[in-house]
Amino acid sequence: MTLRHLITAVAALAATTLSVTAFAAPAKEPLVTYEWVQKNLDNPKVRIIEVSVDPGVYERGHVPGALNFRWHTDLVDKVSRDIVSRENFEKLIQGAGIDKDTTVVLYGDNNNWFAAWGAWVFHVHGLGEQVRLLDGGRKIWELKQLPLDTKTAEVKATDYKLPDGKPNLRARLSDVLAAAEKKTDVHVIDIRSADEYQGKIFAPEGSKELSVRAGHVPGAVNVTWSKAVNAEDGTFKPAADLKKLYADAGVDGSKPIITYCRIGERSSHTWYLLTQILGYDVKNYDGSWTEYGNSVGAPVTNLAGTVWLGK
Amino acid sequence: MPRSIELFLSLIILVGLTLAAFALDSGKLSKSLALGALFGLVLQRSRFCFLCHTRDFFSNRDVRGIAAILLALGVGTLGYHVILTTWLPDPGAGRLPPDAHIGPAGPLLAFAAFAFGIGMAISGSCISGHLYRLGEGSPTAPFALLGTLAGFGAGFLTWNTLYVASIATTPVVWLPAYTGYAGWLLGQLALLAALAALFARFASPPVSQPDIRGATPLRHALHRIFIARWPATAGGAAVGVIAAVAYFQVQPLGVTAAIGSVARSLLAHAELLPETLHGLDGFAGCRTALVTGLSPNGAFVVGLVLASLASALVAGQFTPAWPTAGQALRGVGGGILLGWGAMTAIGCTVGTLLSGTIAGAASGWIFLAASFAGVWVTLKILPTR
Repeated sequence: MTLRHLITAVAALAATTLSVTAFAAPAKEPLVTYEWVQKNLDNPKVRIIEVSVDPGVYERGHVPGALNFRWHTDLVDKVSRDIVSRENFEKLIQGAGIDKDTTVVLYGDNNNWFAAWGAWVFHVHGLGEQVRLLDGGRKIWELKQLPLDTKTAEVKATDYKLPDGKPNLRARLSDVLAAAEKKTDVHVIDIRSADEYQGKIFAPEGSKELSVRAGHVPGAVNVTWSKAVNAEDGTFKPAADLKKLYADAGVDGSKPIITYCRIGERSSHTWYLLTQILGYDVKNYDGSWTEYGNSVGAPVTNLAGTVWLGK
Repeated sequence: MPRSIELFLSLIILVGLTLAAFALDSGKLSKSLALGALFGLVLQRSRFCFLCHTRDFFSNRDVRGIAAILLALGVGTLGYHVILTTWLPDPGAGRLPPDAHIGPAGPLLAFAAFAFGIGMAISGSCISGHLYRLGEGSPTAPFALLGTLAGFGAGFLTWNTLYVASIATTPVVWLPAYTGYAGWLLGQLALLAALAALFARFASPPVSQPDIRGATPLRHALHRIFIARWPATAGGAAVGVIAAVAYFQVQPLGVTAAIGSVARSLLAHAELLPETLHGLDGFAGCRTALVTGLSPNGAFVVGLVLASLASALVAGQFTPAWPTAGQALRGVGGGILLGWGAMTAIGCTVGTLLSGTIAGAASGWIFLAASFAGVWVTLKILPTR
């Protein structure tokens, strides 16, 4: 190879790298728009992943080039109640062709509930810096009638090793008990419906995961997750509105926060916006009400006084 | 019925179905209605019916119907192969393709399918057959469908016992996971071809279709499409194509989810339904649920019956008759077996046999063999009508 060839090759390589960099998501931008996703469909440094709860949704049409992570099997431990182990998660992201310079965009059905949960798992396992949410998820993509693909993208596996995890983004039962007993100074946010919070009902109609007590964690405030999104397209409300929404409930970010719901996935939605959009210090309690409300001796506030009668 | 009224009524149904498909704002509902109508048209025009095809072979050594079933399975297999290889490139990854009707493959399935076969032979049709015959004014079909409803109820009552005794530990076997897609495709097509060759050995020469002489080519073509029975193989191929398209667009073909859901709701209303049906809703198959409105499968069944009625009217085959006591009895009795069998097998000849086999489910093949045996045994014993 002559010197001239070498220079040309280096220049070409630099140009490619530059153009890719120009494509990449701005650092620390937690949300990407559907327009951004459209422009980056072919960007090799962007990996789009659907995390939907309904099986068959991804297969019958997804954002072109997107891969599929299955909430019930890929992102959890299938035997014990836990999130996916570091070992299995590493295999999963390697298989998805994710490397240290890949920007991961998650989106899904049901207002991004499970995509947000997936994003929280990415954060817990140390990939938080690389992950973004498609604002509005499937809802806005379908609403804008953007093209859907049915092919499964083929990607080249990587040997990316997970960086150190952030287990402190996860609240455990003991953390929530300490908050309930006022041994720690934290804000607890219950993001379920008002009826669940007040203890009128044990769980929404049709829920299979139940608790044998109704009500909420003592001291928790209720900000239903849906108040944070624009109902028509599923996108998050502007940061200023969000800040006010939680401030009105007494949560201003001055203290650490714990979010919970019934099984921990809708609360990830709130966790995501509080940490990524507002920059608050928040742990998500994935055990949520199905663990807390079933725990012997845990203090409960039950405003409605509904008694569990075994039905 | 005067010809003009027949044509007018069928036009009204066609317009009604079209308007309904536009009015249903959910994509799944309108697609299901359209697919159901297409399926009903194909069943009525080609007289595609699992029982009649099998019976034609036993009584007249006419293999055209069996060939149609095998062709439907072959075409459906090819269609599913295209979809499955795209949706789940690695069949050995330890997961099943979404929604595909792949159920527990064990002795209880064989028993339920055998009972279903007996029910077909007694009532004179399978469930999809009764549905399209409802559109032809069959005197037996309403009774058979009532029996099916009752049979589903019986199925719900026995489910928990059978689930714990057998189904919970029965493996769900998906053939491509063991053979790869290519091995499965080649093996399945070879097996279907071998079965076709086997049946052909016993065949008697087919009776040629009566032709209409002296007609213009257009009249001739219209006659072939709207009046004369379609060649069985055309029906079989069309069924295979519809099965693949339905899987791609909405959900695998099946006709019992809506009927089963009605039975489940009635039982729940009467407070007879077990509070929990263990494991049932976790299986892919003709899933039942408490009725909360028009489901995609409900729309499919409505489309099927109405399109069959329209097609029968045009063909002059809408011949309602008062049922005899024997027809009612056979309908209800056979129907109960159809319902119980379809509930326990999580689908019928369409949902489990067709949609299962072409998806690579071992449960589909078991249903095929066992229901065939049930028909055979019953036809041997029952006096020929």
